[in-house]
Amino acid sequence: MSSFIAYLVSGIAIGCTYALVASGFVMIHRVTRVVNFAQGTFAVVGGMATASLLRHGLPHGLAEVVALASAAALGLLIGVVAIGKPGTPPLSSVIITLGLAIGAYAGEVMIFGDQPLSFTMAHGSTSFLGAHVDRQLFVIMGVTVVSYALLQLFFGRTYVGKALTACSSNPYAARLSGINPSRMGLLAFAIGGALGGLAGVLITPIQPVSFDSDSLLAVNGFAAAIFGGLMHPSTALLGALVLGVSESMIGGYVGASYEIEVALVLMLAIMVWRAARTPVMAEEVA
Amino acid sequence: MTGRLTSARLVGAGAAAVVAVVTALLPLFLDSSQLTVYTELLLSAVVTTGVSLLLGYAGQISLGHGGFYAAGAYTAALMATHGMPSLLGLACAPLVAGLLGLLVGMPLLRLRGHYLAFATLAFQLILLAVIGQQSSMGGDIGLSGIPALGIGSRHISDFRGYAWVAWLALVAVMILTRNIVRSRPGRGLRALATSEMAASSSGVPVGRYKLVVFSLSAAFAGLAGGIFAFFIAYVAPGSFGVLVSFQFVVMAVVGGLGTLWGPLVGAATITLLLQWLNDLGARPGMPDYAPQVFSYAVYALLLVLVVLFLPRGLVPAGTDALRLLARRRLARAQPGADAAGAADATGAGVEEPVPSPQRQ
Repeated sequence: MSSFIAYLVSGIAIGCTYALVASGFVMIHRVTRVVNFAQGTFAVVGGMATASLLRHGLPHGLAEVVALASAAALGLLIGVVAIGKPGTPPLSSVIITLGLAIGAYAGEVMIFGDQPLSFTMAHGSTSFLGAHVDRQLFVIMGVTVVSYALLQLFFGRTYVGKALTACSSNPYAARLSGINPSRMGLLAFAIGGALGGLAGVLITPIQPVSFDSDSLLAVNGFAAAIFGGLMHPSTALLGALVLGVSESMIGGYVGASYEIEVALVLMLAIMVWRAARTPVMAEEVA
Repeated sequence: MTGRLTSARLVGAGAAAVVAVVTALLPLFLDSSQLTVYTELLLSAVVTTGVSLLLGYAGQISLGHGGFYAAGAYTAALMATHGMPSLLGLACAPLVAGLLGLLVGMPLLRLRGHYLAFATLAFQLILLAVIGQQSSMGGDIGLSGIPALGIGSRHISDFRGYAWVAWLALVAVMILTRNIVRSRPGRGLRALATSEMAASSSGVPVGRYKLVVFSLSAAFAGLAGGIFAFFIAYVAPGSFGVLVSFQFVVMAVVGGLGTLWGPLVGAATITLLLQWLNDLGARPGMPDYAPQVFSYAVYALLLVLVVLFLPRGLVPAGTDALRLLARRRLARAQPGADAAGAADATGAGVEEPVPSPQRQ
């Protein structure tokens, strides 16, 4: 029983980091219709920058904030290149984000080196329902809940949040009401960068991150995001938790080496199932 | 107008023959390290031709062709190390990869755009993870001691032989691609790339065509992978990472999607540029991470610049410039021919309503 609890808690925590990556995907896709292949890069930059800043003597708190700010700045930069040129079709923008994700490797290797980095945030473990659980896992869950609540408030209660929602449902109408959709797109990229960076900051203490960890993080985040058709952050959260818990259970009971396969096969199955239910016409018109 | 078209076609055929002869003779003048670059360049061009057929003509993106490349390489390596004739292994490499493409494509080709991109990426990650866990396939360490390619007791003993094998493979793949594109199914493919709904209502069997092209391009990748396995004599999952798949897409986009020569031009541009930067980065005084950083930066810069500023790729941009030059010279020689040139251009436009694919 105690091992079940341990797997469950760790699965939920890992799921939370996937949810943050996924919400970044959703954020950017809703506003710009671009699937950002560089979403895993933000997590890598967030995690590696924090580890490296801590190593250079910055105190906790400041290091994390600087890392998040650099992930957001990187998001903005990628947004400028991907959607900044007027008339760039969304599929070209997708290919550009793919290119920038590779380009980011160059910067990461130059700044942080090519070895995995890690750091400690919350020390030790605690006893929870009879199981030993790392304190870091609770930190991850707490921060994720707070950030989802903040996102909810941002979209529901602020003008900027409502403007972002307006751009996602009808860019033309949004423009008529005086909203600049391309500026909103850039804002979405910056927020998506910060969300991805947050996932990286939270996960690096339990899984060391190197410059090429991005594809696995991005694939898991994408798998979670497609639960909600890349449009709904709350369904993405649900998908991420299902994914995290099932990976953790399989890793615990069947064997750690099958974690990746199961997650990916699950993602493929969901995508194909969703595609079979969506008529071609709906996709081509959208 | 037909006369001028045939003469343009003659010029094209002549240029193709010159390129073929020059590239076939080139291995005679290269040293062994240059021959390695030459062979890898041509093998990349073989895979990229398949990727370009899939992405440029059929409009389906794949970020998993590194997986089919690996499938071909492992097929050849496993068969050869188990004592089967090496030529049989090479023949089975494209077959197994094509079959795998058929199996994978059946569920995945229901997906479109970025969903298909992520799904094919996931396929490759799954395949690599599975290979890494099979001790019979060498696991993460890989398979070594692959015998040389040959018939009976005669073996290819030097790099030059592999360079010519790669050349033959590229020629075969390009001729096959050219014939497919010009056939009735080829026109169907271009139609479904624009709108699957419109194509299927005009009687194009959309699902079947997509599947066949996907499988065929997987077979191209498998063929290149098989040659690669014999050439390097060692295969491991590490050689077929996600970046390999990205590289093929970058080469296809840079060279020009939906063109016959684009893949070769793209593969040559990127391979030679990387090689040059590699030499530059390996010079004394450079930090030891320089070659790695340069290669990532080159992929990124080329891909982004081409997508933003030459969205149709290098080959169409080049032929457009040449055509413009020829038309100007013609106009200077005989005033009034410019109007005919304009009519020619609109005629071509009516004939081919799909904007990106370009007549060779």
